[in-house]
Amino acid sequence: MKRVFLHPLTVRIWHWINTACFLVLIFTGLQLRYSEMPNLTKFKTAVDVHNLFGFLLIADFLLWLGFYAITGKIRIYVPLDLKKFLTGAIRQARYYGYGLFRGEKNPHHATADDKFNPLQQSAYFMIMLILMPVQIITGILLWDIRRFAGWISLLGGLRVVDIAHVAVFFFLSAFLFVHVYLTTLGRTPLEHIKAMFTGYEEVDENGK
Amino acid sequence: MRIYAFEKRVRKEAFLYIFLFMLMTVLTAEVPALPQSVEAAPPPVIAKAESCMGCHASNDSVMQFSNKETMSVFVDQKEFSKTAHAALLCTDCHRRVFLGTHPGRVIESKKAFTKEASDGCRNCHRDDQLRKKATHAAIIDRPDAPLCAECHGGHRVLRINEWKSSLSGKDYCLMCHRQVIDTTLASGEKLSLRIDPANLASSVHNKHDCSDCHTEYTRESHPIKMFASSREHSISVAGICRKCHEDKAALVKGSTHYNLSFQVGETLVRQGNPKAPVCTDCHGFHTVGPKTTYEMMSGVPCRKCHEDIFRIYAKSVHGRAKEKGEHRAPLCASCHFAHEVNFTAMTDKIKGACLGCHKGIEDIHNKWLPNAELHLSAVACAACHVPAAEKGIALQLIDQDTGKPFTREQILQLLGKTSEELTELLDAHGEGLTSYELFYIVRQLNRKETGAKVTFLGRMDIMKYSDAHQLSLKNIAIRECESCHSKESGFLKRVTLAVLRTDGGMDRYRAQPDAVSSVFMTLSSKQFYLLGGTRFALLDWAGMFVVLCGILVPVLHITARVLTAPLRRSPKAEDLHKGDKS
Repeated sequence: MKRVFLHPLTVRIWHWINTACFLVLIFTGLQLRYSEMPNLTKFKTAVDVHNLFGFLLIADFLLWLGFYAITGKIRIYVPLDLKKFLTGAIRQARYYGYGLFRGEKNPHHATADDKFNPLQQSAYFMIMLILMPVQIITGILLWDIRRFAGWISLLGGLRVVDIAHVAVFFFLSAFLFVHVYLTTLGRTPLEHIKAMFTGYEEVDENGK
Repeated sequence: MRIYAFEKRVRKEAFLYIFLFMLMTVLTAEVPALPQSVEAAPPPVIAKAESCMGCHASNDSVMQFSNKETMSVFVDQKEFSKTAHAALLCTDCHRRVFLGTHPGRVIESKKAFTKEASDGCRNCHRDDQLRKKATHAAIIDRPDAPLCAECHGGHRVLRINEWKSSLSGKDYCLMCHRQVIDTTLASGEKLSLRIDPANLASSVHNKHDCSDCHTEYTRESHPIKMFASSREHSISVAGICRKCHEDKAALVKGSTHYNLSFQVGETLVRQGNPKAPVCTDCHGFHTVGPKTTYEMMSGVPCRKCHEDIFRIYAKSVHGRAKEKGEHRAPLCASCHFAHEVNFTAMTDKIKGACLGCHKGIEDIHNKWLPNAELHLSAVACAACHVPAAEKGIALQLIDQDTGKPFTREQILQLLGKTSEELTELLDAHGEGLTSYELFYIVRQLNRKETGAKVTFLGRMDIMKYSDAHQLSLKNIAIRECESCHSKESGFLKRVTLAVLRTDGGMDRYRAQPDAVSSVFMTLSSKQFYLLGGTRFALLDWAGMFVVLCGILVPVLHITARVLTAPLRRSPKAEDLHKGDKS
């Protein structure tokens, strides 16, 4: 067994702030959209908190983007070799849907430069580089619809922007369940979660 | 003070006469009696008049009536001597004037005194004699007939024609028009032609001559005008006002009142619509007061027609402040404007009126209300500040680029329909417009050939405009966001399509409550969206499905892992099991 450094401090800080923002934004977002249903907090509090954590999320996203852009590590999110990606994705899907139940080993071996398996890579690519920007932009537009009336009109109107924001909200909420579940599929259920605090993960001597 | 001096002089003279009388009694006791005819003869006229004139020659003396009116008691003896009555004694006419009680008797009013004096005329000028003259015969039996002195004067009694020639300006006209005179119009209504000189004197036009306004009336010309009704007369008079007050007339042109009375209304009024006010309905004819008259609760002319609204206003925070003497508190014209009176519903005008007094209102709202500026543009002040009012959403068809609402006429033009066809379209089945019907209207308006860019804008407004007048204290205004931002909000239960008329008013057509949260509204309403309120169900269901899938993935995977656990217990599988990763 050896310890591999997977998560730099900046990434760990980003991740946990992101987690807090996601949870707060999901609950306040639910309160805003379904104010007549569970009365967790007052609407006004929900608005203020949603706005505050929205901007915190944006700042956190910029931290993530800055870190990965400056270090050049952003390529770990981008499937550069399509053929390798496709075969890897099929292999990984087979593992989750079949091999795992038979007790096979995970075909992907995480290193600092190749942290994600192809399924993770495509999911995070979509989330971080497409959905998050969409959510951030629509969120900013909805934050002050009067100031951004021109942009909103350009995007097809207020309701289109709202639908996009809400649709991404549903998708990210759904993904949260999958994401948390997958973190428990390490050597021990808490291994990956611990790694996100310490930065290190234990792997076999031969890297497996 | 002069009255006292006058009484003092009279008392002095009275003592003198009593002394003379006693002296005469003593002397005549020694003198043989005069012939009877000499004893019965009246005292010399000159002597009597002179005794009256001792006081009445002074033009400083005034008489005060019990109703506080005053009147000069000066008699111009020179003028009097030229009249037909020069030979008469004062007491021939003033029969109730006796030395013992005069002065001192208090008379109720100037009118009562004039009547008493005029009764003196009737001692000689008997009814049968008066009836011989048509003008007298026409009025003699009327209880409100003018008194002799009112037309012919007091001491300088003249024929009407003689009087008129000596009068100038207003006095010439008032010679007749201060009397109770009227004319019967074709409609059967009586139009009073009387002008109260006191009212005229207190009006802002008191420096004008009658002919300044009534230009066609001169000493030589007095055309007899015939009006079908008093309404028609008022409209005609409004034309006179416009000669000087063109600026106000221009403002009135854009008003609801104008549209009612002149534009459509020249016909409407002639058809008998009495509701459209013209100048005189608010300002009166000869009693036009200064601006301050209309700025008091008691002087608001709007009450004449809008008493029901005024009663609501009187109970409002503004009405109560005004009643307490707060001069800055708004009255009708403060919001609706005095001449350019207009519908205020959902126009920026009314908001302008509120913000005109309530400075810095955006900052005040900004302290607690997120997106205050947006709220102030989309929510009528009354929607929050009249908590009890029934509220709803008013959808308006606006130009996507300019934000200006389309008027009914513009909509008709774009649709190529008649007004009746539009009404039919907007109220087809009596159950309220569906979301598709609303979408259809926008689609029709945005046809390629129209070149228009129409979209719906929704505003939160009160349903009954009268409610807007009962604005409350701000501490009981609605502050809970949930009042609007909820699917259960009362706003969402009442949805109307508000079509702006050219006159500034709104025609409202009911829409079905769920129309605003339909997917069709996404296509037809690019600028209206109510957080928490206008969400459409399809997206909610789709979202629930996605989240459910997210939950099902781990649930099913865990289930599969539990079910397949025996497979992994074999030694071979245990060896393979190391190194799983998310």
